[in-house]
Amino acid sequence: MTNAAMRRAQLEALVEAQGGCRAIPPLLLPADPYFDLAGEEFGRRLLLTTDLVGAEHCLRPEFTLPIVRDYIADGTRQPAAFTYLGPIFRQRETGPAEFDQAGIELLAQPDGDVALDQVFTFARASLSIYGLVPRIRLGGVGLFEALLVQADMPDAWRPRIRHRFGHTEAMERLLARLEAAPDAPRQEQPSRDVLIEDVTARMVSTGLSLSEGRTPEEIADRYLEQQALDAAHVPAKTLKLLRDYFAISGDVLSALRQIEALAESHKLMLGAPIRAIRRHLDKLGEAQVSFDAGFSPRLDYYTGIVFEMTGRDGEVLASGGQYDRLLERLGATTPIAASGCALWVDRLEAEISA
Amino acid sequence: MTGITLAVPSKGRLEELTREWFAARGLTISRPGGARSYLGVIEGEPDVTVRFFPASEIARELIRGNIDIGVTGRDLIHETSETGPDSVHFARPLEFGHADVVIAVPEAWIDVTHLHDLADVASDFRSRHKRWLRIATKYITITRQHFARAGIAEYRIVESLGATEAAPASGVADIVVDITSTGSTLAANGLRVLDDGVMLKSEANLIVSRTADWPDEKKRKLNSLLAQLDAVPL
Repeated sequence: MTNAAMRRAQLEALVEAQGGCRAIPPLLLPADPYFDLAGEEFGRRLLLTTDLVGAEHCLRPEFTLPIVRDYIADGTRQPAAFTYLGPIFRQRETGPAEFDQAGIELLAQPDGDVALDQVFTFARASLSIYGLVPRIRLGGVGLFEALLVQADMPDAWRPRIRHRFGHTEAMERLLARLEAAPDAPRQEQPSRDVLIEDVTARMVSTGLSLSEGRTPEEIADRYLEQQALDAAHVPAKTLKLLRDYFAISGDVLSALRQIEALAESHKLMLGAPIRAIRRHLDKLGEAQVSFDAGFSPRLDYYTGIVFEMTGRDGEVLASGGQYDRLLERLGATTPIAASGCALWVDRLEAEISA
Repeated sequence: MTGITLAVPSKGRLEELTREWFAARGLTISRPGGARSYLGVIEGEPDVTVRFFPASEIARELIRGNIDIGVTGRDLIHETSETGPDSVHFARPLEFGHADVVIAVPEAWIDVTHLHDLADVASDFRSRHKRWLRIATKYITITRQHFARAGIAEYRIVESLGATEAAPASGVADIVVDITSTGSTLAANGLRVLDDGVMLKSEANLIVSRTADWPDEKKRKLNSLLAQLDAVPL
């Protein structure tokens, strides 16, 4: 056996040894759930095909969604563990569109901490088959949400800020806009009824349905809210807090100390989410671990802790974390804890030959 | 092969303007086989073969390197492939075919004047209406890139191959991304371009394929042709 084949066999064995069920979703999947869950940004990576009646299918672009959908369809709420190793298909600028991914999904586990530790251990064990000690970047979705809830600002701004978390440029533009908000005296606004009447007239005259899309009430309310928001400033102190927070990035221990100091000076209670991060550090071993306060996948179902393990040139070798909101997004009727990660097998092998 | 293939639009106003533009610089393109022929010549330039193509095919073939130089809109290069702009060299604008690719919303959306408003509306559209915000467009690549940069992810594209401006009224989509030169078609359909809604300013360009083969002799010929046209050499 060649060394590469040997490593592959070891990875197979590791995937089998996780005490879970080996999942093998079909290669051809309906495309709509992917667009629904992840939008056009992920959709453009799909390899699409259309059947006779025009329904769109895609070649399996990842494993999590079909695994989780099957789990929900089963109706069981029992703890479950799934692992996988096999080909996925994505449009990429370089490299073949077909490549292997391995990973683990832990669903409805009684202890989210233990589950995340198992995910970390699985990812590190996989990388060590390839002799790799990665750099690990942690992000705190739960930590940021805790900060955002407590920070002093008009409530309407919180979802707008949350929505931009993980997108550095969009967040920067929003903060800059909030900092530059003019102190202009407010103009007298027309009443809600007058606005609704005006919007309705405009919609009718241009042939828009009053019920299929945005309604006149929704538009008028958001217009008034927007006017109110322009007047409801986010305090300069809070903007400074956000800026200081997003600037924190580096060695995990010193980053967490900086966050504690920031919490202290702004009287924020961030002890629980910070302790949650600390509890996992032992499981990360000798790897170089950093914490990046602004780091998060751009998908709103992530919660708690998220991570990336990168190789020599900064290429992501493994990524994952906790995504407790995913199952509800996919139709589960009650919240179900979930965590997991995916490994880029071709990149692991490439790290060795490089 | 050291001959150069020049692709020009095969039909309509764009073909006329292109031929006039070349003629004004001393290069007369003729179509010996008549209007139904897809091959042409430039008088006095035996090394240049002229081929007549639809404008969108010119963009595709330039990116693939199947033709050497061509005339087409900048928008089509950006739309045909994400790597399109890197695969070609924009040698010079031709000062016709001006049009902007823009984001337009129903005029009745008085609360949406900028992209950041659209980001807010998109982010809770699903929870309000049980479906994603829908954007009608034929510019799928440009829209996806621009919205990704703006941090807007919560939308679906509805591909529209004609009369995009009618999509909101017919209930096919909520807003549109469309090409416009004056905005009057959009306005006539009750749509308003966002204040920061211009995604791409386009016009006809003389474009060189970077992915075509460029042996020294051929490149020398190309650059002398470009010099004659006052264009930036490859």
